Amino acid sequence: MSQKPQGDCGDICPEWGCRNKDEYRGVWVVGEVDENGLSEASLQMLTPARKVASKLGTKITGVLIGHNVKGLADQFMEYGADDVIVVDDERFKEYVPNVFGEAVVELVKKYKPEMIFIAGTMRGRELAPFIANHLRSGITADCTDFDVDEKTRDVFQIRPPFGAVLLAYIRTPNRRPQLATARPNVFPLPPRDPSRAGKGEIIEEKVEHVPVPKSRLVSRKVVPRTEAPIEKAEIVVGGGKGLGSAEGFKMLEELAKEIGAVVGGSRKAVDLGWIPHERQIGQTGKSIKSVIYMAVGISGAAQHMFGVREAEVVVAINNDPSAPILSQADYGVVADYREVIPNLIKLVREIKDRLAKGEPIDL
Amino acid sequence: MRIVVGMKWVPGTQSVRIDPKTGTLIREGVPSIVNPHDLPAVELALRLRDKYGGEVIALSMSPPPAIKGLEYLIGMGVDRAILLTDRVYAGADTLATSYALANAIRKIDAEIGKVDLAVFGQETTDSSTAHIPAQTASWLNWPYVYYVRDAWLTEDGKLRVERILENAIEEWELDMPAIISIAMKSIKPRPVSLLNKIRFKTNPSTLITWTNSYMNLDVRCVGLKGSPTFVAKTVDVPEVPRKKIVYKPKDGEDAARWILKSLLSDEKASRALLKALRGSSGGEGS
Ligand SMILES: Cc1cc2nc3c(=O)[nH]c(=O)nc-3n(C[C@H](O)[C@H](O)[C@H](O)COP(=O)(O)OP(=O)(O)OC[C@H]3O[C@@H](n4cnc5c(N)ncnc54)[C@H](O)[C@@H]3O)c2cc1C
Repeated sequence: MSQKPQGDCGDICPEWGCRNKDEYRGVWVVGEVDENGLSEASLQMLTPARKVASKLGTKITGVLIGHNVKGLADQFMEYGADDVIVVDDERFKEYVPNVFGEAVVELVKKYKPEMIFIAGTMRGRELAPFIANHLRSGITADCTDFDVDEKTRDVFQIRPPFGAVLLAYIRTPNRRPQLATARPNVFPLPPRDPSRAGKGEIIEEKVEHVPVPKSRLVSRKVVPRTEAPIEKAEIVVGGGKGLGSAEGFKMLEELAKEIGAVVGGSRKAVDLGWIPHERQIGQTGKSIKSVIYMAVGISGAAQHMFGVREAEVVVAINNDPSAPILSQADYGVVADYREVIPNLIKLVREIKDRLAKGEPIDL
Repeated sequence: MRIVVGMKWVPGTQSVRIDPKTGTLIREGVPSIVNPHDLPAVELALRLRDKYGGEVIALSMSPPPAIKGLEYLIGMGVDRAILLTDRVYAGADTLATSYALANAIRKIDAEIGKVDLAVFGQETTDSSTAHIPAQTASWLNWPYVYYVRDAWLTEDGKLRVERILENAIEEWELDMPAIISIAMKSIKPRPVSLLNKIRFKTNPSTLITWTNSYMNLDVRCVGLKGSPTFVAKTVDVPEVPRKKIVYKPKDGEDAARWILKSLLSDEKASRALLKALRGSSGGEGS
């Protein structure tokens, strides 16, 4: 059953220490807790965790570290965790990357999970590589899918590589645990099942070695998000370099307001400072899942289109009949957007008036 | 204070092309650049030095052409630069890369002088993992934080930083030595100055190369061998089926009408659109 007898490290870096793969079983999801409780992004990680756990024939353990966090264990289970390890300790009241990282590391050394999922939120992206490195194991960032090689139990961590229209299958053949992050909203939240609460075991753990923190949070001011995240919008309007100026984006905003859409953009639009990076659509930005995506003045580069794969209906407005986006859209219009968008706004307002009066829409 | 700032030499993204036959990246003839997200880190390091004294040392683990990038940073005002380069470092994943960088920082500490701070960019444009700062902190056991936008020293010699997360602004205090990574686009980098370029021309010894015969790292810990992860295979992204209906309108109004007609006759799209049109008040702006 084992490929390598225990203790045989083979030809590996002496600083890594031996790992016997066969000792590692189970899938973990590390919960992220802030003043609003368990973050949605960390619950979303239960979706790929379930896929991997089923293929491996193992269970999912949620991990909660913090102060007064035990109450969140049920929520973890309702969304799919089979068991929850809880470390409830005043010393974990404030999140400190090194301190939290070392706590997870200590738990991993005790329980030996084979795969750990960590939400790729800003904090998660800060924390996860520290944990992986302390364990002298590999980590893959921003995965978009996972698969399993059943014979070796290696998890393929799938992500698009630099700039290419490809998916790379990344593998950690000799080290355990395997670690991966995924960006928020790349995976859906699993359906909540209230009957799962309390079904699994809550394992209350103590962390023996809690280092004296060498960094401290001095102040934290919560600034609630005002805009809806683009990854969750039903209708998205995207602008590109073809808009020619930041003014062009004002026009898109006006349209978006009329049709309840969120405005995003291409990387070129972001680089030009017309739209913030949080609204970049594509391989190195956000993946949208809208019902309608309207691409305006966007050429349709592969890296951009990677982010709209899950949009159900794609409309493109481009004045170049040879623009690649026209052959990657459902409905393409060859026209100057400056002519089209103001007319769209006008027509939409007319339709809304008719709908309000209960009149039929007549185009 | 002595500050080390990391730099990665990456393919210029503006000119990236894909081989239409293989779907892979054409790297030949693509000029490389300093990772754009490293420049705010360099700028912050220079500002800290200008304010508190000391020196800034740029550090890059890259193939030799990255010398051009280090020269650029010297042009910005970095005091010296170290290129960490060796064939045995090739093929490194982020664990092996951070191992080499952490050891180079240790060597700088031992041979040049005490390092107080290491500064990195948020991520690179070519792989955007954001792993390196945290992994380097793990090897060195230094405190670290990400997404920093500003940094200063307190009277008792601690590092204070401000950072912005998705929904919060935070201030942190770190004991030094520490590692920080700087939020992309948060600080405008200064241009290269002629004076610094001339200074470098007259004193080229400010740029040095460390190979593994100097670093003396175990070859099992670096490069491909020192990397727990590897790319097992690549597959094409399956094409998304689309209707591909293209319309050449008479004018803007015709175009707008056609778009709305198409969306309203599309089952999925019409449901979402009508919901939005009924839902929003529409009173504003009209
Ligand atoms: C590693 C890597 C990662 C990347 N990640 C992303 C990513 O996440 N997201 C992303 O978007 N890009 C990404 N890119 C960049 C991508 O390759 C393209 O460069 C970019 O998407 C092009 O942006 P664009 O379509 O706005 O600009 P362009 O390609 O310049 O296209 C502008 C379009 O506007 C049209 N146009 C001009 N005037 C008008 C008008 N008046 N009316 C209508 N149409 C008009 C033109 O015909 C043209 O088709 C990445 C690249 C690399 C190498």
